[in-house]
Amino acid sequence: MRNVAIVGIGTTKFKVRWADKTYFELAYEAAKLAMEDAGIGKDRIDCAVYGIYNDFFQRQYQPDAFVHDYLGLGLKPMVRVNSGGATGGSALRIGYAEVASGLYDVCLVLGVEKCADCFNYESGVATPEVLRAILYTADMTYDNPAGRTAASGFALAVLAHREKYGNPTEEQMAKVSVKNHLNATKNPIAQSPMILTVDDVMKSRKIVEPFKFYDNCLYTEGSSAVILASEKVARQITDKPVWISGVGASTDYVMPGNRPNIYTFEASRIAAKKAYEMAGIKNPLLELDLAELHDAFTGTEIMAYEDCFFCEEGQGGRLIDEGVVMPDGKLPVNLSGGLIGCGHAVGATGIMQTYEVALHLRGEAGERQQKNARRGLVQSIGGTLCTWTVCLVLEREG
Amino acid sequence: MIEQEREKWYEDQASKFGIPIPYLKRAYEKELSGEIPMDAPLEVPDKMDIYFKYSYGGQSRFFRELRENKRIYGAKCPECGKVYCPPRSHCHNCYRETEWIPLEGTGAIVAYTVQYQTTSAFIKKTPFICAYVKLDGSDFLMMTNMEVDDVSKICVGTRVRAVFRDVRHGTITDFYFRAVE
Repeated sequence: MRNVAIVGIGTTKFKVRWADKTYFELAYEAAKLAMEDAGIGKDRIDCAVYGIYNDFFQRQYQPDAFVHDYLGLGLKPMVRVNSGGATGGSALRIGYAEVASGLYDVCLVLGVEKCADCFNYESGVATPEVLRAILYTADMTYDNPAGRTAASGFALAVLAHREKYGNPTEEQMAKVSVKNHLNATKNPIAQSPMILTVDDVMKSRKIVEPFKFYDNCLYTEGSSAVILASEKVARQITDKPVWISGVGASTDYVMPGNRPNIYTFEASRIAAKKAYEMAGIKNPLLELDLAELHDAFTGTEIMAYEDCFFCEEGQGGRLIDEGVVMPDGKLPVNLSGGLIGCGHAVGATGIMQTYEVALHLRGEAGERQQKNARRGLVQSIGGTLCTWTVCLVLEREG
Repeated sequence: MIEQEREKWYEDQASKFGIPIPYLKRAYEKELSGEIPMDAPLEVPDKMDIYFKYSYGGQSRFFRELRENKRIYGAKCPECGKVYCPPRSHCHNCYRETEWIPLEGTGAIVAYTVQYQTTSAFIKKTPFICAYVKLDGSDFLMMTNMEVDDVSKICVGTRVRAVFRDVRHGTITDFYFRAVE
């Protein structure tokens, strides 16, 4: 396999609503920024991988073809990837394979998502209809009619984890929310920069036991893009390549009732293990400088500390209590604000996380810059109770 | 738009999409007032829907038993003996065709949560319980929502039994679970 570098990055702001842009116009903004960052035009792109999650969100089946058309990449090969919340991570994994295999030298990996075009007329807001659109990804025969949501699936897992290990507690979850909202105040693209207290989070309205309002990420519209290149091309294009040194992925049983248990996310553990093996990482807590984890919910960020082997199984709550994952801690998690602070533009999220880590490795993250960042982790999760996980290890030279 | 055109617009959209006129007025009054600049984003109603005559394939008997006989069936692998409910036509470990076996319709809660926010389709039912139930005789979990009078009486391990609805349609919602006193 050939070495693969990130040679260009670009993202739109993550916002609750981009009423002034369609999904393909949003994609255009991110693609243009990534090409400008790489210093190349669209003619240098050999192929594209698009991460777009929900066709209802776009009000369009096969939206990838319309993005490709709008970007003027007609006649170049492309493929669309969809793996729920992990769509962005999966798109990166496929883009990596396109270049590593030697099939193509330069690959545009772009994620884009609308959502708030869905609208519930009765309540006068988008959310219930957005949730209805998402519920079409639950098993239509057995799970969809139960009226569960993405949040209630993950809530079941967090409660099962607490039942077994005694954590995450309400307070530990609230601390994650405070951290991620605060981190977002230093991120110019973030949707939800906020200065909250643990008390604010714990007193916010209940969404699904044990998650309160501020324990959840919000739905977001946005687009993020990276340009991947082979080592030979990367050396010609840029003097600040970010290397993808580890890629790991796993897909669990989508019907969680068919799994041995629901208190741990086995797909995440396997994805992290594979990525670390490939990157030669033995002790992630010591060898990683930052991590962007899939914090769709505070409780699942805490589970992710364990699944990414930052601590022993069942010990996740301790890491937030001890400040290990704070910006000044041993391994800062979600300096971007994560999904909770920066936002969750589903197909774009994993690519936004990658953008964030690349920024730090290039020393361009402004006031939230992690000092001397050499190596970072991206974790992208999707599907019912973590069906898909993709982990990427990114590194800079020297 | 003049007043008459606006009223016609509301009537047309209401009949096309099944959205009550007061809701349409709330959402579009400003847009139709004529005060919005020509270059501002324009939002319009739309809806995506498809009708089905869906086949349950190899799981058909499960749903016919619910509808006709008020009985819950599991699917048993003849090789490993594992019983699936929800049923599967094939064992995903042994790759063998499963066989139908009737279950008692009793079981226990393995995990549960209380939902306060949910989709448009279920919003009037909140708060409700969403749970994984392991039916007696099954080796796997079934996702369900539950009607309960007192949420505080539910816990992991609570015994439940299936209650069938009077009118059944051959869908998973032909029954629901109630806690056993």
